[in-house]
Amino acid sequence: MQDYQVVIVGGGATGVGVLRDLSMRGISALLLEQGDLAHGTSSRFHGLLHSGARYAVKDPLSAAECISENIILKKIAAHCISDTGGWFVQSEEDDPDYVEQWLRGCANAGIPLREISLSEAYWKEPLLKRNILRVFEVPDATVDGFKLVWANAKSAKRYGGDYKTYHRVERLILENKRIVGVAAKNLLNQEELLIGCQVVVNAGGAWASEIAGSIGVHLDVICDKGTLLAFNQRLFQRVINRLHPPSDGDIFVPHETITILGTTSEIVGSPRENQPKEEEIRRLLMMGEELLPKIMERRVIRAFAGVRPLHREDSEVSGKMDEGREVSRNFALIDHEIHDQVQGLISIVGGKFTTYRLMAEKVADWVAKRFGNLRPCSTAQEKLLSEISEDLKKQALQLLPCAAAEKMLERLGEDAGAVLLEIQNDPSKGQMLCECEMVSVAEVEKVALDADAHHLADIRRKTRLGMGTCQGAFCTYRALPLLGLEHAKFDPLQDELKRFINQRWKGIRPILWGQQLRETELTRAIYTSILQLNGIRDI
Amino acid sequence: MNKLDSVKNLDACIKCSACTSQCPVAMVQPLFSGPKSVGPDAERFRLEGIDIDPKCLSYCSNCKTCEVTCPSGVKITEIILRAREKASLAAQKSGTTRLQVRDLVLGRAEYLGRLGTIWPGLTNGLLKVYLVRVLMEKILGISRRAPLPPYQAKFKGIRNNKLVPNHRLSKAVVFFPGCFINYNDSLTGQAVIKVLEHNGYDVIMPNFHCCGVPLQANGKFNEARGNAKKNLALMNPYLQSGVPVITGCTSCGLALKEEYPNLEVSGSELIGRQAYDLFEFLWELQEGGGLKQDFQEIPVSLGYHAPCHLKAQGIGTPSVRLLRLIPGVRVSDLDTGCCGLSGSYGYKQEKYDIARQIGEPLFQRVQEGVRIGEFQSMATECGGCQVQIEHGSGIATKHPVWVFMQAYGLSPEFL
Repeated sequence: MQDYQVVIVGGGATGVGVLRDLSMRGISALLLEQGDLAHGTSSRFHGLLHSGARYAVKDPLSAAECISENIILKKIAAHCISDTGGWFVQSEEDDPDYVEQWLRGCANAGIPLREISLSEAYWKEPLLKRNILRVFEVPDATVDGFKLVWANAKSAKRYGGDYKTYHRVERLILENKRIVGVAAKNLLNQEELLIGCQVVVNAGGAWASEIAGSIGVHLDVICDKGTLLAFNQRLFQRVINRLHPPSDGDIFVPHETITILGTTSEIVGSPRENQPKEEEIRRLLMMGEELLPKIMERRVIRAFAGVRPLHREDSEVSGKMDEGREVSRNFALIDHEIHDQVQGLISIVGGKFTTYRLMAEKVADWVAKRFGNLRPCSTAQEKLLSEISEDLKKQALQLLPCAAAEKMLERLGEDAGAVLLEIQNDPSKGQMLCECEMVSVAEVEKVALDADAHHLADIRRKTRLGMGTCQGAFCTYRALPLLGLEHAKFDPLQDELKRFINQRWKGIRPILWGQQLRETELTRAIYTSILQLNGIRDI
Repeated sequence: MNKLDSVKNLDACIKCSACTSQCPVAMVQPLFSGPKSVGPDAERFRLEGIDIDPKCLSYCSNCKTCEVTCPSGVKITEIILRAREKASLAAQKSGTTRLQVRDLVLGRAEYLGRLGTIWPGLTNGLLKVYLVRVLMEKILGISRRAPLPPYQAKFKGIRNNKLVPNHRLSKAVVFFPGCFINYNDSLTGQAVIKVLEHNGYDVIMPNFHCCGVPLQANGKFNEARGNAKKNLALMNPYLQSGVPVITGCTSCGLALKEEYPNLEVSGSELIGRQAYDLFEFLWELQEGGGLKQDFQEIPVSLGYHAPCHLKAQGIGTPSVRLLRLIPGVRVSDLDTGCCGLSGSYGYKQEKYDIARQIGEPLFQRVQEGVRIGEFQSMATECGGCQVQIEHGSGIATKHPVWVFMQAYGLSPEFL
């Protein structure tokens, strides 16, 4: 058994943020994650890096936090962020009084904004609905959850931090009401392991109450399911928000090659309830049409849902249990010594992706103080990824098509060198294995060999393999033989294939119409007919 | 294509790769990742602001085999040409002048034609001088080996700008000759008119400009649109009276049917319906019992090559059906892919070999057909294909309208 000062539970943005912060302060920490990093809420959102403008009226504190973190993240995580800017669009249906409140709110929070003329707006965003009255530009941006989480984990590792994926924390271990360790299970080989530590940071997100519950500590986390739609292409060049009180289906986010429309809000009983439902999708499309006319003619490639962990102190309950948006999006740091007389356990709940670093800083401050560590937080200053050298860029552009080269460098940073070397030695490995998202054979091979890659879906999260137009129709069977090279690590190929296709279809089933229906019929023909794959759930 | 249509066009691609598997260029040039890759695939990244190497885009020859193949009806070439336009605008800023001048030259078959036909003898003489071709290659990037067709006196119709009285418009057609007939093959232009007149039609020939296809292929979209608008304005009075527009060139025909309807000017709503390939028009006459059948027997056997832009029109091969009506005529439809030239593509220095390689199976088929006595010479509607097939196989290749001239007992007037 290995001991650490701190065990962090949960490999979402907050968890890896804490791991990085503690590691940079020289505090030994291990992060345990039951699945792959960022497999939960941290990747199941719209990918919007808030400017805070969305919260300017209702939640001024969140608004102020967002704008300051927005500026920091654009600096330290530029490779994960696309600084698209965002618009707030007031249409005829939207209340002009709210607009005035909103303008005041933005001014108070220090969110810079600029009014855009309608002619400029329609010229820059030709698909935007034509009945708008006013448009304001704010520093919204888009952020890639997968990349940001992995960048944090890799940065933490450079500072000595550890993480283990596919390790589920079974229970916390107490001695005299004091944390002394955790018991975890390696889900890949079912081995139990005990890890000694003095502090546990519960960053389990939507699972946090289950973690606390393992020692009978009550933690009130509301599971708020949000469903989103992914469109086949970039329909807008910037984030488009409706200028009205935050509601369902009122944000479009151009994310990498796709556009995401979000979100719904529904309180659910458990974080596992993340299957998008048809009525949610109908509602999203109905609301989305207010910004994007003829929305039903635009191709949706999948639906997905995440479960937001919202925090609510009992005192704040004011009826309206079914309305997740009424609950604060602010985060809370809960020292269980004060609330539950358990020493060494701190839970971090609520918050939002944009403020993950700030949340991590607060947690790390608390932990550092406990260990008498006086080093200040430096996560806001140091870049997550070292600058990619010009030589590497040049080499990548020589060996790969421009889009493929740029995307690979964003994903792999300096690690791209190894991939390029492979391609240099064997140019056939420079072919696109995933053509929709332009991922080369060599890159998939490299990621498959990563110690952290245990399933095809892990490779998908790191590369975007299978996340484009065809949703895995053509890249899945191409990727499988590469997994075969690593027999010991992956499940039998048939199982990997079934699991992967079923995961893709989970998001496709609720949106089966139009072009994606044609695509899926083609996929079905490939896998159930040509490859005779049994055990895929019927569409 | 407006923004909404281009969104829809990209959404229709289901990534099946049928286009790439049929692409004549991808078949011979491994450095070209194919129409799907540089078209719909790369487009999703271009929308994100990530452009691909213009060199990859330039491999596309605009033959439109991809669009004929695509089971989803994606206008793949349109995506590629738009991207090329964007890239060429970017290049204008950074300045790679030599190829820009070439785009200017090859895109403007019309201006070249006008220059060349001022004194065809001199131009043709110059073009035959090896040194001139070497200079053209060095300065303009136009291959010294490519088969530049000789210029002839500009085609002026038979009786210039004939006025057709209104009551006779129901038996009139507008003829859109195209640059090849205008500047390189005026006799074929005369043949088209004679055949139409023989069938009882008055032929109207306004002073048309280049249809715009070469401009588009060389990234000059605005200029192409400008030409199209001028041409539509010339056609419009006739279109409004229901007069069909006949083309003898399959690329012009495709532009009239596919591109012109997208313009927002009067007549664009009619041109798609009223534009006909010459033989498509004659075949409709035949089906309606209106085609003159006074054919003399001609003992001739022909190999027929269907131009890519005829295939893209989706009307089959009406000339083959018609040729087979003539007693004594035997036609073998070779169906051996693209000739490779694709308008101006095969003239480009770095594309000459690709064009040759693309056409090689066709050239071999032609030579083999002649060797075993299957046919004596070749027929195809497209001037570019004619030149390339003659260049690649050494076998005489003409427009099929000449067979009808002969069968009807007509002869051209040497003006």
